[in-house]
Amino acid sequence: MRKFSLMVVLGMVFLSIIGVANQKLIINSYMSDPAPRKVFAELVNQFKALHPDYDVTVNTFAHEDFKTLLRTWLNSSNAPDVVTWFAGERMRYFASKGLLEPLDDVFKDNFELYFPAAFKSASEYNGHIYFVPLSWYWWGVYYRKSIFEKLGLKVPITWWQFKETCEKLKKAGYIPITIGTKYLWTAAGWFDYLDMRINGLDYHMKLTAGKIPYTDEGVKKVFEYWKQLIDAGYFISNHTSYSWQEAANFLFTGKAAMYLMGQFIRDVAPKDVVNDLGFFRFPIINGNVGLYEDTPIDGFMIPARASHKDAAKVFLKFIASKEAQEFFASHLGRLAANKSVPAPDLSARKGLDMILKSDGVMQFYDRDTNPQMATAGMNAFVEFMVYPDRVNSILKNLEMQRERIYKIHK
Amino acid sequence: MKKILFHAFAIILVTVWLFPFMVTLFTSFKTMDNLMTSRSWWLPPKVWHTENYLKAWKDANMSRYFLNTFIITIPAVLGTLFLSSLGAFALSWYRFKFSKVILMIFVGGMLVPFQMLLIPVYRLSIQLGIYNTYWGVILFHIAFQIGFCTFFLRNFMKTIPASIFDAAMIDGAKHFTIYSKIVLPLTVPALAALGILEFTWIWNDYLWSLILIQSDKYKPITLGLATLQGEWVTQWNTMAAGSIIAAVVPLVVFLMFQRYFIEGLTAGSVKG
Amino acid sequence: MRGKWWVPYAFLAPPLVMYSIWVLLPIFQTLYLSFTNWDGVSPSINFVGLSNFKRLFEDPYFVTSLWNNVKWLVGFTMISVPGGLGIAMFLNQKFTGSKVYKVLMYLPMTLSFVVIGQMWSWILEPQGALNSFLNLFGIHEIGWLSDPDIVTYSLIMAALWRQIPYAMVIFLAGLNQVPSELVEAAYVDGANSWQRFFHVILPMLRPATVVAITVNIIDSLRAFDIVYVMTRGGPFYSSSVMANYMYIQAFNNYQMGYGAAIAVIQFLITLGFIVIYMRNVLRREEA
Repeated sequence: MRKFSLMVVLGMVFLSIIGVANQKLIINSYMSDPAPRKVFAELVNQFKALHPDYDVTVNTFAHEDFKTLLRTWLNSSNAPDVVTWFAGERMRYFASKGLLEPLDDVFKDNFELYFPAAFKSASEYNGHIYFVPLSWYWWGVYYRKSIFEKLGLKVPITWWQFKETCEKLKKAGYIPITIGTKYLWTAAGWFDYLDMRINGLDYHMKLTAGKIPYTDEGVKKVFEYWKQLIDAGYFISNHTSYSWQEAANFLFTGKAAMYLMGQFIRDVAPKDVVNDLGFFRFPIINGNVGLYEDTPIDGFMIPARASHKDAAKVFLKFIASKEAQEFFASHLGRLAANKSVPAPDLSARKGLDMILKSDGVMQFYDRDTNPQMATAGMNAFVEFMVYPDRVNSILKNLEMQRERIYKIHK
Repeated sequence: MKKILFHAFAIILVTVWLFPFMVTLFTSFKTMDNLMTSRSWWLPPKVWHTENYLKAWKDANMSRYFLNTFIITIPAVLGTLFLSSLGAFALSWYRFKFSKVILMIFVGGMLVPFQMLLIPVYRLSIQLGIYNTYWGVILFHIAFQIGFCTFFLRNFMKTIPASIFDAAMIDGAKHFTIYSKIVLPLTVPALAALGILEFTWIWNDYLWSLILIQSDKYKPITLGLATLQGEWVTQWNTMAAGSIIAAVVPLVVFLMFQRYFIEGLTAGSVKG
Repeated sequence: MRGKWWVPYAFLAPPLVMYSIWVLLPIFQTLYLSFTNWDGVSPSINFVGLSNFKRLFEDPYFVTSLWNNVKWLVGFTMISVPGGLGIAMFLNQKFTGSKVYKVLMYLPMTLSFVVIGQMWSWILEPQGALNSFLNLFGIHEIGWLSDPDIVTYSLIMAALWRQIPYAMVIFLAGLNQVPSELVEAAYVDGANSWQRFFHVILPMLRPATVVAITVNIIDSLRAFDIVYVMTRGGPFYSSSVMANYMYIQAFNNYQMGYGAAIAVIQFLITLGFIVIYMRNVLRREEA
């Protein structure tokens, strides 16, 4: 607490020196689902209480719109002062174009005072910090405990058990796996996990870095395993017309039993269902390959063209504080990025435990891949889910895209 | 007998045609539970729940979007009418070398695919500092609609008898006075028809606000509604109420002035 | 009207200047950008010659988009034009109350595509109104918006909902121009309704038909809103049209140069029809 008040005092002093009253601070946020939206608004209120001099405006955008609009904002002369974003390649892309403000004066030397050392590489580009993590979470196969209980199913550990579980669910009249691929990225979760379980993390990271052809035997194998589930009819039909939330509804209403999803699925679950939602680690496919996980980090950045950078930095310092991180994480059941905040609840402890016991982590396919390649890749995954037999032509086209994007000349 | 057949068939036609509209209207008055359990979209709700409208209006920010649309649409329509009436006056009553060429440029420009303009207009707005302001959209709408409106008003002004001008010229009236005191008052019916038409078009625009506006503070209702699709994706009833709110103003304007609307559309017969 | 030579130019200056800045110049700028690889971010713009255009025709998603525009074009001309004509003929009969039906039919024209898209998505949802209705007859769930082979037709159907009334307006206006004496004369000659329609009315509707067809073609080639609102061109671009693909490339993928090239192709295809339309206008001028 002392550190925190010190920070507040410092912030005040800083303000009085430059002598601004009622500085504006404009934050653009993608937290559009009701639960995170509310928690973030409260967090901003806490900031306002500490810094009454700031005139804070939060603009909220639907998640999918936000992703496409961010580039426009970063380029415009009246860019927002703070934006929510993702760590890793998706942040670096903008940093490399000079569109982000380095945060070295705030976090250069004390980044590790706040956050685990492992987060540093995901937050920097060329040795400069550009990103302040707020929270992180895990991915897992979410399932309805009550359905599993009713059918006497145990949580599957291996691929073979997983398929058996799907088969039993299907026979009992449930949709084994729900997914909404209208906005593509949900399919990338499947690709990540299958590739990590079959080929391991090194291979997967090379692939997302554009160093492995999509026509490689290893990649083909991923699609063979994926095809087993598709051909057996375990995925929900017409998934291309659902957003991830609409697909989650099938899980919440008890028509579907499982959903490979990030922890934030709890944000949209109705109250009476939340406690019936459990999750398990994505099944093991090859016993010789380590257990790797997707652990995306969410946070904030400051556009290079922001007009109120000082205010923005004060805000980011507040965001990094233990109090702010604890508040946000505990209300949403996520893991705080600040290392002095413990996991907020049982489910989060279980998630943290799973990550700590894993052999390595990555962000997410579209956070570790060049954005153009990611779009092409995710479209291809969805196309494959609809037309599994076209796998060869899909991968060939994807490889053509990779060669163009990474300027590989044969 | 023929009469009955006509009415029977017409009623079937209209009912089928307005089916999507009715589904939306009914949905906007139902509860989510009701929608999830019964898939009878076409049945009216047993109890009419008006709270969805309140939710859309307040929680989903439709009130702000609603106001923004007026702030954008009204100056855009007035500006377009004013500027194009100037152009139309010149093109209808003066003989000069390039008059036909200029007319054709106006006609051709309104048929160009919007995609040809997107990137440069977006860049221009950023350079002028009007990106993400009301002015960015308003000025674009004015400029873009000038083509059609000039063409439309010019055709109308051509029908004004020449004798009126001659009389005015003899009285020694200035050119601008003739425009403002004689021609404009005579053009009022055409301006009204055009105004109604332009009002609905600009009200319903989506693409240009998508390109030129980012803040909730300035979003018009179409863009706002599309934003809600992302946020309230599973709340069909709230979305339906939002859709009805977005539709209500052009609908009322149309029903009140439908004669003008149709006249404008047929006289123009160019775009929609 | 007489006056100094510059008088008309003085009147034209304000509208023409605005029109040039926001409409005419951008057309040339887009042409220019289509030969570059500008990414919307970098300050420098590199000239890359024709490579954007070369890439377009190797890009399967662009080819799909182009092909889908052809489907839109066929749908609009083959359904909207005769459909609009048919409904116009039908509602043009002089019964009391026919005006009310006309007004009701016009309603879709007053709605924004965003609203239309939203309305139709409840019809076409997997559990939506249409499937629920078909289910009563034991027809299994159809993926109106999720099946790549169907989705474009579903979107065209939603667009036609608004486009047919528009064609109807054009034809109703055309029918007003047909003198009723002519039709009556045909009665006296003993022509039956079909003969009357084909030999008397249809020839008189020629100008309206030309307008309806060109307008529909131009609209079909610039379809955007409904595709973007309902599917964003998905699944995997199977319902994409050129306008929508251009937007995605330019503003989502930030390949401004490539996006500009798509716009140029779209423009060139439309140009032919714009010329036809303008010649029509000119001819009316001279008459």
